[in-house]
Amino acid sequence: MAINEMKKTIGISTTKERFPYQKKLATWLQHGDRIWSLLLWLSGLLVVILVAWIGWRLWIESAPSRAEFGWEFISPWAKASWNPALDKFQAWPSIYGSIVTSVIAIFLAVPFSVGIAIFLAELSPPNLRAPLNYMVEMLAAIPSVVYGLWGIYVFLPLVVVPIGQSIEATLGQIPGLAIVAGGHIPVSGLSRLAAALILTIMITPTIAAVSRDVLLAIPNSQREASAALGATQWETIWKVLIPNGLSGILGAVILGFGRAIGETMAVTMVIGNTTGGGYSILKPGYTMASIIANEFAEAVDALHTSALIEIGIVLFFLTLILNAIARWLVWRVKKQVMGN
Amino acid sequence: MPIKKTIAVFISLIIATIVITGCGSSQSTATKAPSSNTGSAPTATKAPSNNTGSAPTATKAPANNTGSAPITLNGAGATFPLPVYTEWIQMYKSVQPDVTLNYQGIGSGGGQKAILDGTVDFAGSDSLLKDEQYQQMPDLQMLPMLAGAVVPIFNIDGVDNLVLDGQTLVDIYMAKITRWNDPAIAALNPGVTLPDEPIVVAHRSDGSGTTEIFTSYLGAVSKEWTDNVGVGKAVEWPADASGQGIGGKGNPGVAQAVQSTPFSIGYVELAYAKSNNIPFADMINAAGNQVTANADTMKDAMAAFANSFSERLTTKIVNAPGKNSWPIMGYTYLVIHMKNTDCDKTAALLDYIQWAISDDAAAQKAADLGYATLPDAVRTLVINKLHEVTCNGQPVL
Repeated sequence: MAINEMKKTIGISTTKERFPYQKKLATWLQHGDRIWSLLLWLSGLLVVILVAWIGWRLWIESAPSRAEFGWEFISPWAKASWNPALDKFQAWPSIYGSIVTSVIAIFLAVPFSVGIAIFLAELSPPNLRAPLNYMVEMLAAIPSVVYGLWGIYVFLPLVVVPIGQSIEATLGQIPGLAIVAGGHIPVSGLSRLAAALILTIMITPTIAAVSRDVLLAIPNSQREASAALGATQWETIWKVLIPNGLSGILGAVILGFGRAIGETMAVTMVIGNTTGGGYSILKPGYTMASIIANEFAEAVDALHTSALIEIGIVLFFLTLILNAIARWLVWRVKKQVMGN
Repeated sequence: MPIKKTIAVFISLIIATIVITGCGSSQSTATKAPSSNTGSAPTATKAPSNNTGSAPTATKAPANNTGSAPITLNGAGATFPLPVYTEWIQMYKSVQPDVTLNYQGIGSGGGQKAILDGTVDFAGSDSLLKDEQYQQMPDLQMLPMLAGAVVPIFNIDGVDNLVLDGQTLVDIYMAKITRWNDPAIAALNPGVTLPDEPIVVAHRSDGSGTTEIFTSYLGAVSKEWTDNVGVGKAVEWPADASGQGIGGKGNPGVAQAVQSTPFSIGYVELAYAKSNNIPFADMINAAGNQVTANADTMKDAMAAFANSFSERLTTKIVNAPGKNSWPIMGYTYLVIHMKNTDCDKTAALLDYIQWAISDDAAAQKAADLGYATLPDAVRTLVINKLHEVTCNGQPVL
C-alpha cells in the first residue's frame, strides 16, 4: 500500500491501475527498453548498411572501367594518361597527388596542432583560453571555398611561392630528392605544395580542437599525482598527459587525415589541376577528390563516368585502409603504454 | 503519465518514419525502370482535355490557358548558356505569368541523364547525344538555341594586341611552340616586341562545353591534334606533361590563372572576357582574314554553316569559311521530347522556345551577355521542327 501511495505521488502508475493487457504489453516491451534497444540497433545497423551500400554501388557503377583497364588503372608503373576525349583513363597521378598532399599536411599539422592543444588545455591563462578556443573553432568552421580564395589571392603569392623557391634552391639540388622537390614552382604558386600547405592550415584546427578536448578529459588526479611525485609541468605533459591521451590524439589525427584526403574545393582551387607534371611537389598536380569534382558534372561518356566512379572506389578503399592502419597504431601504442 | 504517453507517441512516429522511408526508397528504385520513358511521368495523369483553347496557333500568341492550373516546366543541363537562360526565364514570367520555368545548371552530362531518366521536361546540352542514347529514347530532339564564342586570352608584359592563327594556337597547346618570341608568333605580329620567355598554357580543369568548342577548333585545324589529343569536354593537355600547363576551374579559374601568371595564354568564353574586360587575341580565320570576336563575326560564322545541319539539327561551326567568320564557336542546344503525353506542358514548353528564339528583347539580352542568337535560316529550321512535335499523336503547334 505504502509503495503504491508513493508511486502515485511521484507520478508512476501503480500496478493496480493497469489493465491486464497493458501490463502484458508493458512486460513484453520491458517497459520501453525493448523499443529503445530496437531503435539503437537500427541506428547502428544504418551505418553499416550505408557503408556497404555506397561501396556496392561504387563497385557496380565502375564495372565498365574495371573491365577495360584492370589493375593498370591504379598502377604507378603504367603509362599515366587521363584523356576523356580519347577514352584513356589512368588514375595514378591523382592518387599520388592525394597521398602526397595529405601526408605532407599531416606531418606539418600534427606538431603544430598538438602544441595548440597542450597550450589551450594546460598552459593558457584562463582569460585567454575562451577567445582562443573560439578562434580555433572558428578556423575549423571556415568554408573550404573561402580557404581556396584566400589561398589564390594571398597565401600563394606571399607564402607558397617563397617557400617553393627556397625548397627548389635547397632540397631540389640534392640528386635523390630532385624528383620530388625539383623544378621551378609556377609564378602563380599553383602546385601540389600549395595544396599541401592549405590543407595543413585547414586540418590544424580540427586536430587541435579534438586533441584539446582529449587532454581536458584526463582527470585532474593524474596531474596531481604526477606533481606529487615531483614532476615538472613539462614532465607531467610529456610523460603523463600525452601518453594518457594518445589514442584520442591519434583519433584526431585520423580525423584530420580524412578531411585532408577528401578535401575538394580548396585543393582544386590551388593545385593547378593537371594530370602530368611528374612527381615534384613544386609542380601542379591533381587529387582524386578534385578530379571527380571537376569532371563528373560534364562526363557524358559511359566509360568516363565509370572511370571517375572507380576513382571514388580507390578513394574509399584508401580511406578505409588508412583508418585501419591508424586503428592498429592506436592499439599498439595503447598496449605499449599499458605495458609500461 | 502524459509524459510517458508523449514519448510513446514520439517513438512510434519515429518507427513509422523509418518504415515509410524504407518502403519509399525501395519503391522508388523498383519503379525507376518503367517510368523512365515518359518525360513528365508525375503529371502525366492530368487530364489533357480541360485546357480551354490551349495549343497556340499563332507564333506570337502565348498559350492562353487562362483559368487552367499554372504550369511548371523543369529543365537542367549545360552551364554554358545558364546566364542567358536565367535572364530569359525571368523575362518570360511577364510574358506568360502562369508558366513557371526552372533551369538548373548541372552540366551537359547531367542534363542528358536527367531527360533520359525522365526527371526533367527539357535539358540543356552543349554536347551531342550519342547513338545509344537515341536508341534508348528515340523521340529526343536537339534544338540549337544560341551560339557562343571562345577567345584566347593572354598575359604578356607590354603587349596589348596579339594575333594568332589556328596552327600557331595548336602548336602552343601542343607544347611545340614554347617561347613567346617563336618565329611563328613573331611573323603574325610584326612590330610587336615579344619576350624570350616560356609560355605557360592555361586550360579548363573542369569538363566544359568551352573546352569542347576550343578543342573542336584545334582539331579542325590540325589532324595531329584530333589523333593525339582529341576533341572533348576534357582532354589530356600536352603542355601539362612538360609542367607548363595549369588548369583552372571554370572561366574565372582560367582567367585568374592567366592574370596571375606572367607570359601565359588561356581561353575563356567571349561572354566572360567581355563582362570582365579581359583583353583577348584576334585570330586569322580560314579565309585568311584577321578577325576579332564580336556579334558580327559570330553571325557570319553561323550563317556560313546554316545549311550543314544534320537530321538531328546539330552541326559544328568551328573554323568557318566565311570572310569575316570568328573561327572558335559552338552551338548550345535544348533537348526535348518529340512525342508527348501531357499536352498543356508541351504547349507551354514549345511556346517558351518559340518566344526565346523569336523575341527581340530576348535576343537583345543574349547579345548583351556576349552570345550569338540564331540566324534567320537556322531559326526557321528550329520552328519547323517545333511544328513536328506531337502530343498523343496530334501536332501541338
